[in-house]
Amino acid sequence: MEVAVDVKALVKVYNSKVRALDGIDLTVNAGIAFALLGPNGAGKTTLIRILTTQLKPTSGEAYVFGLNVTREGGKIRRLISYVPQEMSVWTDISGYENLLVYAKIFGIPSHERKQTIDDALESMELGQVANSLVKTYSGGMVRRLEIACAMLIKPKIMFLDEPTIGLDPSAKKIVWERLTSFKKEYGVTVFFNTHYMDEADLYSDQIAIIDKGKIVRRGSAEELKHSIGGEIISFSLEGNSINETSIQKIRKLDAVRDVIISKTELNVLVEDAETALPDVMEILRIEGIFAQKISVTKPTLDDVFLKYAGSRLETTGRISEVTHVRDMIRRG
Amino acid sequence: MIFRDSVRNFFVMIELELRRLRHDRTELYFRAVQPILWIVIFAPVMSAIRAIPTPGGIPYIDFMTPGVLIQSTTFLSIFYGLMMVWERDSGILKKLLVTPASRYATVIGRSMASGVRAIFQGLIVIPVALLMSVKFIPNAAYFVSAFVIIFFSSGGFAAISIIAASFMKTRERFMGIGQAIIMPLFFASNALYPVEMMPQILKDFSAVNPMSYVVDAVRGLLITGDLSNLPIDLAAIAIFDVVLFILASISFKRIIE
Repeated sequence: MEVAVDVKALVKVYNSKVRALDGIDLTVNAGIAFALLGPNGAGKTTLIRILTTQLKPTSGEAYVFGLNVTREGGKIRRLISYVPQEMSVWTDISGYENLLVYAKIFGIPSHERKQTIDDALESMELGQVANSLVKTYSGGMVRRLEIACAMLIKPKIMFLDEPTIGLDPSAKKIVWERLTSFKKEYGVTVFFNTHYMDEADLYSDQIAIIDKGKIVRRGSAEELKHSIGGEIISFSLEGNSINETSIQKIRKLDAVRDVIISKTELNVLVEDAETALPDVMEILRIEGIFAQKISVTKPTLDDVFLKYAGSRLETTGRISEVTHVRDMIRRG
Repeated sequence: MIFRDSVRNFFVMIELELRRLRHDRTELYFRAVQPILWIVIFAPVMSAIRAIPTPGGIPYIDFMTPGVLIQSTTFLSIFYGLMMVWERDSGILKKLLVTPASRYATVIGRSMASGVRAIFQGLIVIPVALLMSVKFIPNAAYFVSAFVIIFFSSGGFAAISIIAASFMKTRERFMGIGQAIIMPLFFASNALYPVEMMPQILKDFSAVNPMSYVVDAVRGLLITGDLSNLPIDLAAIAIFDVVLFILASISFKRIIE
């Protein structure tokens, strides 16, 4: 199987202080959708910027389709397309003109240009507004236009940095349906960053969880979820504290695979909640711990993240912030 | 291959600027207010005082029209750097860097695009000068040459702002820096008064001030018809452009990081 991205012991240090990437090893096969999942500041964008030849690594090596990012940047730039996290279209010209400018930059021959642009517009459902100025577009339309730009050439690999940031669920769905069929039709590898677990869960073939500049775990969504157990019992402990001995006692139970504590929550990973619950409840009762709420769920990628990175992927604040920034930029 | 991509990139940047102007020329109209005020108010007042000796005794308003014309196109080009900072905030610059064209083509292309704006700015100011009965040399070739010079020099001035922008992380800071670059260039040039009138220190500065060479060339072509300095002016502008493009390309690295 062809390897699309190969990264070895990659380190990136900014201003000899901030260690954004701290020894990344990663192999991504060609033709798949690959998600790099992690919170803000984990190093996702830095990795994409190195792979797209914008930044040079401090040490280590990275290859895109066998080409070295430091020495063969020019060749790599012919194979890839890229959608940065920030807004990357001109707002004072129309959507069609944006695509036309990029089509010319990419050197698409003039007799193919119109058809290629029309296909990209059609695919992202922007045909109706093609001749309107981009400043009149909604956030979702802008993002779709940016992805349409990346679809103009049929790249071997597409790098998408938070492709659906700030989009509502229906816009998100359209974008991913189109990306998925684009991937199938042309055998394009899709490499994307996200902090939305549902996005990684639904649309990727492989996921790598990144935290503090390190890959902490990788596998398919199913493998990752399976790795932490069949079910999770969550006890909400508002105002209660739980001591280490109680945790040890719960951990020793046969039915329990692991115990994870977050701020106000005790999460017990078990194979089967129905049989494990009475025993866990008994320990809590003896220890005098009162749970306000108990819930049983199937593991999500957030739980996977919690287990391997030690915190939850906090998303809400971040999304509203980025949406806000994008709005500000659009208003200029 | 890279060369062809780069040349193409250059022309696409010019086309992009034309397309932007086709949709919205408001900036140019507002920017034209300042040079028009110089021509309509400042020049008649200064002429009345007769304090400034002009070469060949041409009317003062004729003398200073190329000066304020170049001042306005230079202002425009310098502030064009703002757009680059804006593009850094947004992802456009990042995306352009991931295209097959070389980084240098992106820098030069973005800089020269300001020349497109400068030409249109000039085309707004000239009719006002005509209304104020400024006498231009009626020679189409001279006229076109003057605008070619404006186009190429604007690229150099925009490159200055790219270099400055690479040090500035915010637009707000850049606004201040923009003024701080422009005003000395303008007042210590031959735009408003002949260099001979200046104290020695300003004369020395004027000799290395690119704006003086641009004004001199354009004044020769549009007003006085004295082209004896033209080769020196052209050489100075060419050196200015090349040096600034190289420096801007180097400082561009800082912009990306």
